[in-house]
Amino acid sequence: MNKIIIKIIVIVAIIASWQIIVTILDTPTYIFPAPVKVFDALIKYRQIIYISAVITITEAFLGFLIANLVSVIIALLISFYKNLENVIIPVAIVIKTMPVIAIAPLLVIWFGSGISSKVVAAILVCFFPALVNVLRGVKSLNIELYWLFKVYSANRLQLIKKLIFPSILPYLFAALKTSSSLAVVGALVGEFIGSNKGLGFLIMSNYYNMNIPLVFAAIAISSIFGISFYYVIHFFEKKMIFDREKIEEG
Amino acid sequence: MKIIDVQSVTKQYQKDFYALRDLSFSVEEGDFVSIVGPFGCGKSTLLEIMAGIRENYSGIIKIRGQSPEYARLNRKIGYVFQRKTLLPWRNVIQNIMLPQEIAGLKDEKKAYDLLEMTGLKNIVKKMPHELSEGMQQLISVVRSLMLDPDIFLLDEPFSSIDEINRAKMHVHLLKIHKQTNKTFILVTHSLSEAVFLSNKIIVLTSRPGKVKKIVDINLSNHGEDIVFSKEFLNYVKIVKAELVNNE
Repeated sequence: MNKIIIKIIVIVAIIASWQIIVTILDTPTYIFPAPVKVFDALIKYRQIIYISAVITITEAFLGFLIANLVSVIIALLISFYKNLENVIIPVAIVIKTMPVIAIAPLLVIWFGSGISSKVVAAILVCFFPALVNVLRGVKSLNIELYWLFKVYSANRLQLIKKLIFPSILPYLFAALKTSSSLAVVGALVGEFIGSNKGLGFLIMSNYYNMNIPLVFAAIAISSIFGISFYYVIHFFEKKMIFDREKIEEG
Repeated sequence: MKIIDVQSVTKQYQKDFYALRDLSFSVEEGDFVSIVGPFGCGKSTLLEIMAGIRENYSGIIKIRGQSPEYARLNRKIGYVFQRKTLLPWRNVIQNIMLPQEIAGLKDEKKAYDLLEMTGLKNIVKKMPHELSEGMQQLISVVRSLMLDPDIFLLDEPFSSIDEINRAKMHVHLLKIHKQTNKTFILVTHSLSEAVFLSNKIIVLTSRPGKVKKIVDINLSNHGEDIVFSKEFLNYVKIVKAELVNNE
């Protein structure tokens, strides 16, 4: 059977089971709303959900883009200046170990309650996994290929364009896929702490109002965006490095 | 005419670890020279120094009177590595054109002429993974010809190829040598490969490598059966005797 049909059947089965269980147990909506109620909330609040989603998606996408761009630049610099790794990696580890939820209030103080603080939160969450993946790609470079380019007196730009970048492409896609979902989490956490717009704000404010179906609807939209983002990258990965996968499969 | 002059070259990695010590020899233009020696005697290191990609050595190396770095920067060196170095995301013709792209040239005709000469014209659009290892190395040899370098350095290019295909590669390589009349330096562990291809074999001592003996080879022909002839086997014996009495 087609894989997509199987996935649809599984999702429908989960939603149906959820509906049945909530109906049988007669669970109050403010504790666990039935899928129908969540769907109702999606329709009823579609306008505010749409506006909020656009804001969160923008923040997540900008954070994702900047984090990956910076990671690629740093990894390329490390490939030319090896000692730089000893300086950058400890800083990256410090960033990684800082819980975003703890520093989000500081980000609001430093960058304001607008979009910037959420973008920075998304960058902080995405940066380390992106850097580690891209750096792995740079380090896995075949030294003889590097020497081949040296024999031909290639300049650094040629080295990056014709060797390093195509070589690290599989690792770059791994970085993009990992950080795609993390960027959404970063943006949401930023909005939880200090914001008056976005899906994170919508979730938090409706917790307090006990409008749990809308909370579920906002969470569902966040998840759908995270998953879609991941699969868009996966699609481009398949397009761009298909041949290499064929090589590896032999 | 002397094209390569190596005088008292020493390469030290750590305090008491010498890869090469006081190594001297010279190569005439158009020679096909093989360098043989025990495992770890610095053969590949010597080739890398000659290619200008490994620095920090003492002694003098001159390629047409200039340093290896100068020769490399002026793209006078062709190099074929032991491991496969075709870019897996480029097809055969794109791989062959790589040196020209880097040098800012675009002479596809030269690439096609070289492919014609080696009988590889029918595989230009193939990807490296679609080719045998021997073919990939032969493409690497063709690629190294693209900038018309003065010397070709080959670091055990056929070491991982089966004997039958290796023999075919030898014929191709000799053909390239004959038609280009360039200088080839081959590092190899195979004595029969060295005897078949070279007009001169440099036997190195065990580490730290220095020249033990230079054996001139003058085979009467390069036919298919020459490897079974007494003449060929005698040369192999001479080189082997030098290697066995290496300690």
